[in-house]
Amino acid sequence: MIRYRFLTAAVCALLAAAPALAAPPADDSTRDAKALADKIDKLIAERWAKEKVTPAPAADDAEFLRRATLDLAGRIPLVSEVRTFLADPAPDKRARAIERLLKGPGYVNHFANTWQKLLVPENDPTNFELLLNVPPFQAWVRRQFSENVPYDKMVRELLTAPVVSDGQAAIFRLQRGERTEPSPMLFYLAKEAKPEELAAATSRLFLGVKLECAQCHNHPFAKWRREQFWETAAFFAGLSRDTNRFGTTRELTDRREMAIPGTDRVVQANFLDGSEPRWKYKVGPRVTLAEWVTSADNPFFARAAANRLWAHFFGIGIVDPVDDLGDDKAEPSHPELLDVLAREFAAHKFDLKFLIRAITLSKTYQLTSAYTDPSQEELRLFAKMPVKGMTAEQLFDSVSAATGYREQGGPQNPFFGANTPRSEFLTKFASQDKRTESTTSILQALALMNGKLVADATNAERSVTLAGIADAPFLDTAGKVEALYLGTLSRLPRSQERERFVKYIEDGGAKKDRKQALADVFWALLNSSEFMLNH
Amino acid sequence: MTRLPTLSRRDWLRLSTAGVLGASMSGWLESLAADTASNPQRKRSCILLWMAGGPSQTDTFDLKPGHANGGEFKEIATSVPGIKIGEHLPKVATHVKHMAIVRSMSTKEGDHQRATFYLRTGYLPQGPIQYPSIGSLISKELGSDDTALPNFVSIAPNRFLSPAAFGSGFLGPQFAPLVVGDGNGVFQGNNYEQALKVQDLQPSSEISRAQADARIDLMHGLANDFVSSRPGIAPLSHQAAYSRAVRLMRTDAARAFDLHEEPDQVRDRYGRNLFGQGCLLARRLVERGVPFVEVSLGYTNEVPVGWDTHQDNFNNVKKLCGVLDPAWATLMSDLEQRGLLDSTLVVWMGEFGRTPTIRDKGRDHFPNAWSTVLAGGGIKGGQVVGKTSKDGMKVEERAVPAPDFLSTVCRALGIDPDKQNDSNVGRPIRIVEKTAHPIKEVLA
Repeated sequence: MIRYRFLTAAVCALLAAAPALAAPPADDSTRDAKALADKIDKLIAERWAKEKVTPAPAADDAEFLRRATLDLAGRIPLVSEVRTFLADPAPDKRARAIERLLKGPGYVNHFANTWQKLLVPENDPTNFELLLNVPPFQAWVRRQFSENVPYDKMVRELLTAPVVSDGQAAIFRLQRGERTEPSPMLFYLAKEAKPEELAAATSRLFLGVKLECAQCHNHPFAKWRREQFWETAAFFAGLSRDTNRFGTTRELTDRREMAIPGTDRVVQANFLDGSEPRWKYKVGPRVTLAEWVTSADNPFFARAAANRLWAHFFGIGIVDPVDDLGDDKAEPSHPELLDVLAREFAAHKFDLKFLIRAITLSKTYQLTSAYTDPSQEELRLFAKMPVKGMTAEQLFDSVSAATGYREQGGPQNPFFGANTPRSEFLTKFASQDKRTESTTSILQALALMNGKLVADATNAERSVTLAGIADAPFLDTAGKVEALYLGTLSRLPRSQERERFVKYIEDGGAKKDRKQALADVFWALLNSSEFMLNH
Repeated sequence: MTRLPTLSRRDWLRLSTAGVLGASMSGWLESLAADTASNPQRKRSCILLWMAGGPSQTDTFDLKPGHANGGEFKEIATSVPGIKIGEHLPKVATHVKHMAIVRSMSTKEGDHQRATFYLRTGYLPQGPIQYPSIGSLISKELGSDDTALPNFVSIAPNRFLSPAAFGSGFLGPQFAPLVVGDGNGVFQGNNYEQALKVQDLQPSSEISRAQADARIDLMHGLANDFVSSRPGIAPLSHQAAYSRAVRLMRTDAARAFDLHEEPDQVRDRYGRNLFGQGCLLARRLVERGVPFVEVSLGYTNEVPVGWDTHQDNFNNVKKLCGVLDPAWATLMSDLEQRGLLDSTLVVWMGEFGRTPTIRDKGRDHFPNAWSTVLAGGGIKGGQVVGKTSKDGMKVEERAVPAPDFLSTVCRALGIDPDKQNDSNVGRPIRIVEKTAHPIKEVLA
């Protein structure tokens, strides 16, 4: 034990010489990210000047850390993370915090969850075939982020994945729990291998073009024609699936034409920008499509990705909505900015972390979300950080972080995982809202006020977390209030807040019992809008 | 594009900074317990009795006696001379004078998931558009924000077949139903006492009322501080939801769910089962001004297949009618007795009907010609709409597609079905698609 401590101390001493564990990679990529961050700020500020906007001040350290941890790791920071960060005197601590978060498991979890929902939004809890294919899909998505697979490679892998399955036999293997390779197969299964569904998803997600409006008639708002929808679908025309459950999926790799349903018109697979596919011998249409989609010359790919990533951090894209860059009515708020982000993203080999660094290092990202001037009302000028809703996963993971809740047991079997506290919470809090217009429902409010999760954590007798604070001999009442604030709102209380709560606790609350009163304060913090929102 | 109703975004900002929304939770909210049933300005309500699985019309409302397809059941007379219905709905038969029986529904969708979606939203599932269910659409029009009870309550739905068809879609969580007795694929059995409660309505018994009030006040103070520095939809919606939730917790409103307040004979008359007690709950909610309540009858312990009677059709339908008959009839009497029938539209429907031809004692999915019923407020009762052929296999007169039916429901409630809502794909979408025509004959 002593030897271990000695070693740790020695290691710490060595590391103390070098500034911190998570120094940014000292290479061109980081320098470029910083340069791009500066460019972001310059272009944003240009529009402020033009619109006579007064931007909000910079976020303080606590606000920054909470926001960055939520955006990068999908949860609020832990008390220890907050305390360490606030105490750190290093001038580049924000950049190092970003690096730490990018390297952590939270990043993989959060981005994998986000992308899984984008790729497979079809959420049918009774479709057992889909459920069984979730673990290999999750494993595949997670791998993309844990290995920082370049974004173009990830999309190519998805679009060209082998989809032939032997139906029932594959199901039996999954049911037996046999280890299967990570596989994006679920993407195809969830869309029933239908060319029109796959084309719609591919176009929307990776090109930022909501082509499906043109499925039945020429697109009402943009320039896309009905043929173009089906020409895109034709790249997937070789796929077919038995219509019964657990059916076999097949692919004919030489098929690249299809009839527009309801007509006898047959269209050939063609790219959306009108360019001709250069078919190669024995190269399937999905491969040809994937190469065009992910090419650095593709006018949509990098822009759509950059816009999506921007929206991830700001709650709203440079083009809004994020999946309709092709809409004539959807003007970019900062056209040059989007072009620059797209260009740099492609130039840096579609490295997601590069673009993430550039965005999060910018002053624009680090503005406070507090409203200090009427000119900040137009969110798309990014004169302040918009207040964003949390996803259900972020909220659950944040409640868990704040309350010390640990889910029992290991990874869930999809058949029986349906009713864990986490899955029930996720169902209750699932939301399709635009994040800057996030709404709360009555049932959600009731669940947080009276539900078991928060109730157990705020029970003066039973909560381990509360006991830890209540019984800590080195904390006076003010210190206890501080600990609660750091654990929930990830900041120190303001002086009026401290006074108000110290008084409340020392008065004992309704039950004239300090421990109960402490529990009341914890409960109020967990139910506050400041806790529930990402700001 | 704000989803907070009535006030524009600018108004909300102004109000919040002026501290108007800053009233304390406890105390004054109790006085909100206005009895809306006696309010002369009372708006209309709708009770949807949703028959999951596709109920057989040839055994309920459109019998074919004397024909090979007729099956085992006989016709009985109703309170309207000339109109006959199935023998297993004798109590319902006494209320036919208030009903318009539509025998000519004709919809084409024979798949449970698609048909459920179609009949409950008026639209076929189409890619990314999240069409809201009719309950959300209607309660948005008829409800108001300052009531203690939510505007849309869904009782014992079994959403697992088509969850999207039971939600608020692009209207957002504000218009989502408050769900009690959620089946979720598991048969509820008849534990209606447990099932028909609002989840998480009260804190655990270890928290005294005074402590709960104190907690809410503390939280409210925090929320006020936050919204004043960060006005916007998200913090305001949070406040609004919490304030409604607290209202539900605090006021008389929550007692709507307390069926113990009803005398035993009343509870017996509805039937001591989930659906029966659910109908009683629906009446209580409507009495208190809730504009849209739906009660589902389908997959139960006694009849695991629900109305989806591919097998043992006659036994299963008889059992289900045994539950449906007393519940629906008592609901109608109670509404009438309380003077609520004129302002409450009762809708009886499933997602499709069943084949008149009998296969192995069962009937299969049949969207070509089937029946629904409209009763009560806004409806000219005592009539039949449409006619099917002698063998029941096709509609001979007055085919009614799904959008027409929903358009009729809207008109009966005084709602304009052409009204548009902002959708999640950036274009506005009408409550009911514009090609729909209501069944004028049934509108009062």
